[in-house]
Amino acid sequence: MPASPLATVVSVGLASILSLSPHLVARARAGESGGTHANSAQTEFGKGIRLPADAVKRLKSGDPSQVKSALDDVRLSARAGAAAVPAIVDLLADGLPPELAQEAIDALGDTESEAASSSLSWYARHRNLTLRRAAVQALARTRGAVAVKALRTALSDFDPDVRGLAAKGLGTLKAKEAIGDLFLALDHKVPEASRSIGLLCAGDECERLAAKLGSQPFEVMTSGLHEALLRASDEVPEELKVKIVGRVRELGTGEANRFLREVQAKWPKRASQRVKQAIDQAVLATSGSPGTGGRDAERKAP
Amino acid sequence: MKRLLVGAAFLVSCAASQPRLARFSTEWEDDGGASIGYVWRRVGGTPIAPTADLVVGVAGNADTLIGLPLGGGTKWTFAHALEARPIVSGRVVVASGGGELFALDAETGRPLWRRPTGGAELLGAGDDGTVSVVTLRRAGGLGSILLAIGHDGVVVRQIDSEKGLGAPALIGRMAFVPWAGQYVSVIDLDSGDETARVTLRAETSRAWTAGGSLWFGEASFIRFDEHIVDASKGRASTAMLPVRELPGMPKVMPPGSAPVPAEATAEDKARMYARPVATSEGAAVEDGRWYATYFRIAMGFDAASQRDTRSARPSSSRPAGAFAAAEPGRLLWVHLHAADLLGGAAAPGGVVLCDERGKVTGLDSGTGAVLTQADLGQPLKACVVSVDSQRVAGVAAEVKQLPAQLAEAVLADDPQLVVAQRLLLRELAAVSDDSATKALVELASDPRTSPDLLADARTALANRRSGASYMESALERHYEYLKDVLRSPPVGPMAQALGAMKDTAAAPLLASHLFDPADTDDDVLRAAAALSVIGGPGEVVALRRFFGMYRASAGNDEIAAAVVSAGRALLTLDDQGGRGVVEAAAAAPDTIPYARERLQAMLSETKPGEVTGANDAGGKRGK
Repeated sequence: MPASPLATVVSVGLASILSLSPHLVARARAGESGGTHANSAQTEFGKGIRLPADAVKRLKSGDPSQVKSALDDVRLSARAGAAAVPAIVDLLADGLPPELAQEAIDALGDTESEAASSSLSWYARHRNLTLRRAAVQALARTRGAVAVKALRTALSDFDPDVRGLAAKGLGTLKAKEAIGDLFLALDHKVPEASRSIGLLCAGDECERLAAKLGSQPFEVMTSGLHEALLRASDEVPEELKVKIVGRVRELGTGEANRFLREVQAKWPKRASQRVKQAIDQAVLATSGSPGTGGRDAERKAP
Repeated sequence: MKRLLVGAAFLVSCAASQPRLARFSTEWEDDGGASIGYVWRRVGGTPIAPTADLVVGVAGNADTLIGLPLGGGTKWTFAHALEARPIVSGRVVVASGGGELFALDAETGRPLWRRPTGGAELLGAGDDGTVSVVTLRRAGGLGSILLAIGHDGVVVRQIDSEKGLGAPALIGRMAFVPWAGQYVSVIDLDSGDETARVTLRAETSRAWTAGGSLWFGEASFIRFDEHIVDASKGRASTAMLPVRELPGMPKVMPPGSAPVPAEATAEDKARMYARPVATSEGAAVEDGRWYATYFRIAMGFDAASQRDTRSARPSSSRPAGAFAAAEPGRLLWVHLHAADLLGGAAAPGGVVLCDERGKVTGLDSGTGAVLTQADLGQPLKACVVSVDSQRVAGVAAEVKQLPAQLAEAVLADDPQLVVAQRLLLRELAAVSDDSATKALVELASDPRTSPDLLADARTALANRRSGASYMESALERHYEYLKDVLRSPPVGPMAQALGAMKDTAAAPLLASHLFDPADTDDDVLRAAAALSVIGGPGEVVALRRFFGMYRASAGNDEIAAAVVSAGRALLTLDDQGGRGVVEAAAAAPDTIPYARERLQAMLSETKPGEVTGANDAGGKRGK
């Protein structure tokens, strides 16, 4: 039976994204070709392949190779692998060598199971930096109050990458309660906080973000303002977006012009025309700024 | 026999007239104190007027003198180029610069006289109220000039010598001139003859008057009294300061045989101050106190261990310049000043110090409290303090206890103080007061603390056996980037101390530090070791978590040793499940070998319930 195009996309795509082990790739392919696992596998995109029945048993086998293959299965199963979460949590509690521990952490992240957050929160404080970063990334997927709390703590980690991942994760988790911490992080040179603030801010908070134009590097600020501008109007009101555009326009720089053109290009057709108009005017007003390439170049812009 | 003949010849000569020696001759042989005894009998009863109580600041571009009489007179200024440090003697200020030597009235700053120097450099000066005697080093540095000038400007005597002379004193027209580090020759200004000489057994390049007595010395104080005749035997009345460690290797006085530059140097900032006083036994140090400065720090010491060395062992058994063994002076107080201290003088009741801002501060001899303050009105390049009759007295606004003073000094954020701070830190470590622990914790937690001082602070902290509450408070802190807490508390040393104190209240705090990646490996190692001693049932969960997280992923031997300590604690605290956990880890092939071997050994040595909280950290460090 030939593999469906969707199954091919899923297996190849996941393998490349997740750098899966040969076992995992083989299993994904088996799913395509109707092998042993394929009978019970489910390849619905996003849900992953159904977790093999013996995965939990293998996780508890004590045999590193069995454990590794089971973790691969959990990763491929994604949310469908949630049933293995307690066993993986036990493995991490009992202790694993660093390589297996990282696979276990990654697997927990792939399950997106909130039940994994507590275990991950401990590893988010591990002395091994690779494991700590992996745990923080996984927490951004497992959600829940425990995850948010752990990520807020990780904003104060001494490793800048961990801080950045935590800031990014809080945005992903839509952790509005962390916005104060994110502003603090932005002020403490955690650039990733900007985008998360842009994703989470409301009212004054978005204005506060925009007010940092000039005091923070422009590319840091635009990552947040870009998100804020492209959010729905019920989250960030038109008037506020116009204000943000106005602040960028006031900079009058080439990079401001480039940013505005980028937003202009991405502006959804059904989105606010009032904001669109403000963006268009701002693009024109800044087109003569140094570094823009001149008005001729501006006219050719979409 | 030779000495007896010399002495006999001297007595014959004495009987007829004042003796005459070959001036500054190195052919001279010790006369057993005969000649200096003659001088003592002649001028020993002469009243010695007190030296002016005066602070003289060198300001501007070393071209302005500012005088501030400490007795309440009016501040004066005198503009003149300066090439050497001014000298206060008697009632005059002698200085040189711009090719001339000049003297000012100490009370008013009024010029008394001036003479061309011919390029010679000012060394020292003495004054008896009518005549000033000055020594200068000839241009080129070879030889000296002894110049006696009346207050009216008339040159009374000028003597040139090939020898390097020191700073002189003058009593009854007799100039006492130190030279060659061991002699004081007495020059009769009327005849120009050397009428006496004494050999001293301590480095001597200065003669000066203080407290109504004449003194010789450089690092010690030798009194001119009836015992001076025994000076060559090391039995002169002598006061000396105890030998003790001080920052910057300070001197009591700079050598009188070398010019002192007009502007202060580092040597002026690291100085010792003491004032000799005559006693019925001979000589002592005023108030039983002496002082030292190091940049912004002033310290007061107990001179109780000083002694008159006439009873000390014979001088022949020790080299010249070496003193009788003395107990280290006990530190009594520490004063942290706002600016670098440039000069000072010990006085009755305390020490008077002046700083680079031009402020003059009188500190109490017993407590270091600020008793007096005065102001020269402008920043200084150098400063000379002369106090003879004035007493340091006043009401202190604040008197701090020694632990608080030490804490303030060691916590000062000033890199140039580190050498002194290390010494003071050792003093602080010896104080059992809880406040000392608090200061050590603060010092070891402060990111601004220099690495050298930090190491000392951590060592001292580990040895504390008091102040547990301050350590517990510190353990509540963790590295927090967003709150700008950028240095973890000194977990390891505190864990060691708290473990030794059996402070079980600290156990949960230490347990939280097992999971702080910002703590050092050593901190975690020592925290785990302490928990194996003071951990309780409340720590079992954390210990099991830590044990599991690291038994197979410890990044180094220190963390592996911490795992072993955690295992030991589990055996003690978790009789139900702990042994099983440890046994499983000891058997697991993926457990870090360092930990597995020690866990196996630990299990083989113990039966359930037998482990009593031994500390694995010591074993690790001992390897």
